[in-house]
Amino acid sequence: MKQSVGSDYDRLFYPFLFEGGQANLDEVLVQVRQSILAKSSELIALRRLTLETQRGAIVAAGQAMAAAFGRGATLFAFGNGGSATDAQDLVADLLNPPCAEWASLPAMTLTNDAATLTAVANDVGVVNIFTRQIIAFGQPGDIAVGFSTSGNSANVLAALVQAHKQGLLTIALAGYDGGQLAQSSATDFCLIAPSDHIPRIQEAQATVYHALLEVVQQLLKNDQREVQP
Amino acid sequence: MKYVDEYRNAEAAQRLTQEIERLSRGEPLQLMEVCGGHTHTLYKHGIEDLLPENIDLVHGPGCPVCVLPMGRIDDAIAIAQRDNVIFTTFGDMMRVPGSKGSLLDAKAAGADVRFVYSPLDALKLARQHPDRQIVFFAIGFETTAPSTAVTLLRAQAEDVQNFSVFCNHVTIIPAMKAILDSPDLRLDGFIGPGHVSMVIGMRPYQFVAQRYGKPVVIAGFEPLDIIQSIYAIVRQISQGRAQVENQYARVVRPTGNTKALEVMARTMELRPFFEWRGLGFITHSALKLRSEFARWDAELRFETPGLRVADPKACQCGEVLKGVLKPWECRVFGTACTPETPIGTCMVSPEGACAAYFNYGRYSMAGARSVLGAIEIALTV
Repeated sequence: MKQSVGSDYDRLFYPFLFEGGQANLDEVLVQVRQSILAKSSELIALRRLTLETQRGAIVAAGQAMAAAFGRGATLFAFGNGGSATDAQDLVADLLNPPCAEWASLPAMTLTNDAATLTAVANDVGVVNIFTRQIIAFGQPGDIAVGFSTSGNSANVLAALVQAHKQGLLTIALAGYDGGQLAQSSATDFCLIAPSDHIPRIQEAQATVYHALLEVVQQLLKNDQREVQP
Repeated sequence: MKYVDEYRNAEAAQRLTQEIERLSRGEPLQLMEVCGGHTHTLYKHGIEDLLPENIDLVHGPGCPVCVLPMGRIDDAIAIAQRDNVIFTTFGDMMRVPGSKGSLLDAKAAGADVRFVYSPLDALKLARQHPDRQIVFFAIGFETTAPSTAVTLLRAQAEDVQNFSVFCNHVTIIPAMKAILDSPDLRLDGFIGPGHVSMVIGMRPYQFVAQRYGKPVVIAGFEPLDIIQSIYAIVRQISQGRAQVENQYARVVRPTGNTKALEVMARTMELRPFFEWRGLGFITHSALKLRSEFARWDAELRFETPGLRVADPKACQCGEVLKGVLKPWECRVFGTACTPETPIGTCMVSPEGACAAYFNYGRYSMAGARSVLGAIEIALTV
């Protein structure tokens, strides 16, 4: 069979071999657009579902946090990987509020100190990297916020259990069905983004903790204990 | 079976592995196979144990069952659950888990799911049951696409109205490019897929050698085929060459099977993109039916969820399929994920790397791990 005939099939089934390695820009743009639209609609649906199902819990958690801050509490936030960055974002928004009329509130993330994290991980185990810091810093009445997309991160659960023992208010943000964080009696509030797609869970959790901040700041501003959901 | 022993000759294997050791000079080399049949042979015959330690075999996405995302399984189940549908599939797809169960689970719940050995068997069912809708779950690389194509042509010729194809054929060449472009891996050569090459020939692999400077040796499926292919790759590397060679010349022709390619071209065309488990979306990496065959396209005949479903968090099939993890390095391998209770597709399919490891290799791996563990303990005491 002639070489040229075979080449025609190569062109048909493997066009990239004949494009000098360059992608067809129009096709790439179509793919990107479709991908963005699909992700956006998925995220919008999850955010709506999360806020609808967690509305009461978000308000109640916000009320408890506002009361704690009113009594001089410090908030400790923690998580692994992407959840660590969410914890950092929450703390940054408390220390340096995005709205001028919001109060700056005491908060600390337990994910930043590389020396402490690696020392505890190396000497005792990664399951204790947040727990040790809760033991050192946590005071009765403080707030512990743990992030876990699966709801089953062992070190997050361990830290919330320790925080509960020490009399801190414990709040968990979880995905899937909430996992062990939702089932633990050590968790005062578990706010669940009901999805099994980790990027979407994280995006919905961002909505949840920003909503929490709004509730807290509104209550503190008005010095109220009730807020309209 | 007259010729099997010749391809399993121990002395020849030993000579070849000695040459591999001599030519590689202890240099670490990573070679990938992209064919589930090769993975199976490697572990059934313990070939890795024969190779020098500097040769690392990486198992790529060679199992078309394994690379199918869960969302497509859900779509298949949605079709199977429709009234009046007889859903036909190859046997290894029956147990592949979707987000809410497998085709076997759907069958247990009342869906009419039947396994077939060939799409022509599905077409036969359509003739036998003119009052039912028969759907064939078409999966596989270029190896099986021609048989789907022939079936479609026959359905068209006979004007069989109650038959359709749910097409999930994928093509290996774009996946190889995606792997070569991946920052996760630094490969030194490919053991080329035997039966895919039987259809497509040698030419499509030229870009691997010419653009990426990596040798490709198309291999057969007997132990000596694979060892000889590894020898050929190592020989090329030692000589500073990067070419496409054909070790499986008794089956693979340089131009492939042009008749098979012709029927594929008449019935199928490329999808703009398709999701591969572990590799994400790859442009022009899968086939769909041409518009002339829209009447036999199950995706047009039936409504499906069409959702993208995330893998279970415990599942590391993606990393295994890319070759980033060895199967036994997966955190659930052999514990939560076994052939009897699979979490991911790599364990479900007999061609999956995890299934191959579990069935043939896990005891030697487990032994290696226990030795390493003992050494660790000794060093810390």
